[in-house]
Amino acid sequence: MSEMVSQSTSTGTSSGNVRIAARGTTWSLRRRQVLAVVRLELRKSYFGSRGAALFLLAAMPLAIPVLMLIARAFRGVDGDTAEITTVFAGLYQYFILHFVLFLGCVLVFGNVMRREVLDRTLHYYFLTPLRRELLVAAKYATGVAVTAAVFCTSTLATFLFMYLPESGGSRFIFQGPGFGHLAAYLLVTVLGCIGYGAMFLAFGSFMRSPIVPALALFGWEFLHAFLPPLLKQVSVLHYLLALCPVPLSQGPLAILSDAPSPWLAIPGLLILSGALVAVSAWRARKMEVAYEED
Amino acid sequence: MSSPATDRRVVFDNVSKFYGEVLGINRVSLSVPPGITGLVGPNGSGKTTLMNLLVGLLQPTRGSVRVLGIDADHPEELFRHVGYATQYDGFPPGFTGFQFIESYLRIHGFDRTEAEALTWKSIERVGLVEAAGRKVAGYSKGMRQRIKLAQAIAHQPSVLVLDEPLNGLDPMARAEVIALFRELADGGLHVIVSSHILHEVDLISDQVVLLNGGYVVAEGAISGVRDEMEEEHPAQVLIRCNRPSLLASRVFEQDHVVEARIHEDGKGLLVRTRDADKFYLLLNQVVLDNDLTVETVMPTDSDVNAVYQYLIVGQGEKP
Repeated sequence: MSEMVSQSTSTGTSSGNVRIAARGTTWSLRRRQVLAVVRLELRKSYFGSRGAALFLLAAMPLAIPVLMLIARAFRGVDGDTAEITTVFAGLYQYFILHFVLFLGCVLVFGNVMRREVLDRTLHYYFLTPLRRELLVAAKYATGVAVTAAVFCTSTLATFLFMYLPESGGSRFIFQGPGFGHLAAYLLVTVLGCIGYGAMFLAFGSFMRSPIVPALALFGWEFLHAFLPPLLKQVSVLHYLLALCPVPLSQGPLAILSDAPSPWLAIPGLLILSGALVAVSAWRARKMEVAYEED
Repeated sequence: MSSPATDRRVVFDNVSKFYGEVLGINRVSLSVPPGITGLVGPNGSGKTTLMNLLVGLLQPTRGSVRVLGIDADHPEELFRHVGYATQYDGFPPGFTGFQFIESYLRIHGFDRTEAEALTWKSIERVGLVEAAGRKVAGYSKGMRQRIKLAQAIAHQPSVLVLDEPLNGLDPMARAEVIALFRELADGGLHVIVSSHILHEVDLISDQVVLLNGGYVVAEGAISGVRDEMEEEHPAQVLIRCNRPSLLASRVFEQDHVVEARIHEDGKGLLVRTRDADKFYLLLNQVVLDNDLTVETVMPTDSDVNAVYQYLIVGQGEKP
């Protein structure tokens, strides 16, 4: 049963006490608080000039189908869907997933707490009657929603730009396996935002600058194909690539291992992300605001 | 342990805070009643550390802090009752004064209508209505101070903590803000103010806490603090009267008077006494017995400035 709470404060004036209250059940109050954090985060971190880098990054993959269109227009030949499928798989796995989404998540989640410290605004959040754990969760959820929306749009647009101009493209999407491929890519994009987001949130919570651990993780993820099977399992990319609809060769030097099943990959990634967010929330609970040190 | 009495106070119980090897504050025990409390001390004395500990932005290395009976590490309860205007000059980028206050009020759980009403009310109280729609980034230092103050009082807290709130304010705004503090304190609020402008602290504070090197060196009403120092630092009183020599001869007979000096213009007497109450009784008697005409009787070292000089700056020098 929900506990009824009344968030009330009072102040005296010369004419007597004035009482005001933010009322509701515990859950309705928390829901309002979380929504307020989401609104504030969207306004100050994504819709202003600070969001420009993210949108620019997300627009980069679109350059590839545009260049391909131009090249084909000059050559005057149509591409076949099998070739496009391989090209898109490579573009997605090596560029979007490895680079664009990774960097976007560094940009967004590495700064979730860090940017507040640099702006000297974190204390405004910490001086509200909101549990810090809930604040971290709300900021993380906003980041996931924004990055997932931006990178899913980017992936969708790139996919459509690659297939639709070709003669067999719409048939491949709407009558062939294309729609399933697209759904899988979008799912991987969302999971990538969740996984990398949780990781960079944790880095940003514990490290003064998330750049060094981000570079280390980038190297680790880049080399994941060459890692022994046991170490592959501590790579986010290992689980994400297993969900991609078109497997690609990792090269002659890659060490092969069994791809995890979706039933393991998805819950595993979600559990790992949940644990990292919980650690970041615990860290926020213990965090002190001392901007002078930064 | 809390009791109904301590539940109405801000209580520091043997609190220490170290930043690594560096001392922030050490073994501070305070019980702050409602009214205006001035925190006074030189830079680095621990004023901001004390305030940040009070609101949980810092966590004590030792000891505990309770605000109205609420532990400082329970923000969901604490910040229904506490507002804090920090010294930090950061604001969310791109926000107007109105958006700044309204956005954080929504995080308190107020719905849009309530939040907007409270925002306007607090903006009116600090006199920033005309600038409310402008970006905070374009505000002057004084306006930024006032918008921070508005943000701290917007949810109508019962404990208001203000770190150097008068910095950057012009004299008119300063007077208005001080009047606002008085109005809030008269309504039963705890208003805890740090300032290095001693005469203003003296003017507005019901009690003071003097800090030096991380230690509380004195606390209480200024007069009480001054009285406790009379043995080491005798109180000075200037009496402007028509026959200072006669008065001097009478007061010299008293044990508690350590010095009596005729003023340079010959129309006054400066007395230093270890018991001001006894001295004032004696003065009444002398006036009645000798028909003295007294123009003024003025303590010259009973304000916070004198206390500050004795305890912190001069370590025994006269102010």
